[in-house]
Amino acid sequence: MSNKELRERAKQLAREHGYLQYMIERYISLWGEEETLKFIEACEQPIRTSIRVNTLKISITTIPNRLRDKGVALERIPWLDEGFYADYGDSSPGALLEHMLGFYYIQGVPSMTAVHVLDPQPGETVLDLAAAPGGKTTHIAQIMKNTGMVVAVEQDRQRMTSLRSNIIRCGATNTLVLRGDARKLDHLPFKPDRILLDAPCSGEGLIPLDPSRKTSKTMADIRFCATREDEMLEAAVNALAEGGTMVYSTCSIAPEENEYIIDDILKRHPEMELVRIPTEFGSPGYSEPYGVQLNKSLTLARRFLPHLHGTEGFFICKMMKRRRTSDGD
Amino acid sequence: MGIELVDPVDWDSITEQIDIEFGEGTTKALLGDRVPVKIAKEKSIIFYAIPMDWMTRLTEVSEELDFQFIGKELGTLEKGRFRLGLQVLSELAKITHSFIIVSKKAAEAFTYGRSIIRESVLELNPSLVRGQRVLVLNKNRECLGMASLSVDAAKLLRLGGDRLVAKNLVDVGWFLRRLG
Repeated sequence: MSNKELRERAKQLAREHGYLQYMIERYISLWGEEETLKFIEACEQPIRTSIRVNTLKISITTIPNRLRDKGVALERIPWLDEGFYADYGDSSPGALLEHMLGFYYIQGVPSMTAVHVLDPQPGETVLDLAAAPGGKTTHIAQIMKNTGMVVAVEQDRQRMTSLRSNIIRCGATNTLVLRGDARKLDHLPFKPDRILLDAPCSGEGLIPLDPSRKTSKTMADIRFCATREDEMLEAAVNALAEGGTMVYSTCSIAPEENEYIIDDILKRHPEMELVRIPTEFGSPGYSEPYGVQLNKSLTLARRFLPHLHGTEGFFICKMMKRRRTSDGD
Repeated sequence: MGIELVDPVDWDSITEQIDIEFGEGTTKALLGDRVPVKIAKEKSIIFYAIPMDWMTRLTEVSEELDFQFIGKELGTLEKGRFRLGLQVLSELAKITHSFIIVSKKAAEAFTYGRSIIRESVLELNPSLVRGQRVLVLNKNRECLGMASLSVDAAKLLRLGGDRLVAKNLVDVGWFLRRLG
């Protein structure tokens, strides 16, 4: 398809389905027309509600019976021990007593998966950047069994309320919440063993949850987000301990906010390397989006896509910071 | 906002307030092997319990960081009165006898901010007195929040079914009401 033909077809599809033209142009370039149409169709379908059982408060085996008694049907998420798809029927997931008591957290499958990929260990120091509303912070605390220290950094005052509230509700007692800019981590008095950066993004993966996203962001917005994501990741890489693990994720499907950002970091920081994610989920990251040659190891990253995985769009990438050798390399 | 160690005299006063209502040694049990620290807000002071080794890691840089929350929130001191935080109530429920157990219907209503009437009460320690703070538990002994007794527990059986027994002070539904 020539560029002119691509633009014409994108214009037509964008008009038919209520998207901005630049979005469809990018999707056709990335996936071709057939897959783009599947993506558009999948974005019209609802995403299944999912919950994470909070093992700080209740066992994984107890919660299914309690919720079943209230008419909630649960189905295990294959790669997440504590994750379930949940059909609440007519009731509201947030209004049940079990939710108020902190027995579960309503959380998207990709978000739970990001923490699973981070694989925090008891006793470690873990940094969670842009942490509100606290789903990932409380998940990390849970996996660490309330040991070590989870440092949650959040800048937004309004969102700080939900972060504090969720930490209290979930019974996480190993968290330190700091208000501040995740791009300025110089003052941190420790080198984290692991860092999770679920970066604030353009939200291009959230179209199934928020149809207004089809028209609410321009390419300039994506560039703005990409610059901020790059700055945050740079600060995080510098803060990470040698031998430490980093997980970078976004709820955007835009390569400009994902693979391009990682590719730049790998160029600037030869001590960083992508590592394989041992769990099977999603599909590989792109090493040649729009025909642009990027670091080949980007295929080790994983993507969730609505038309392939029935979830919101999401990107997860795991990296390690090599230890310096004795001769300084 | 920085964190500070708690002055022992201030801590004694808080310990006294908690132990009078929830039993001797309650504060010590809630604290465990942690140390109390405080973060001052505009009109109140919030107290937290943190692992001992965190103090040495954090005090030197305390002024450079904006602390919003740390460790386990014990409660808030406002106008001289200490109020226990929601985070420690479920832990407290395992060590105190100052509680009231309520029916399923009342438990649900309590999480919507309602108070407790006589007909909803399943169990109440008769030694508890009017004005005392008690934990509110459901039949599974899960802590739903805290209430203030409106009557002496010993007089419970003399009350009519619709009479107020305990006034809601805080409940787990706060999470829902606060965040929507």
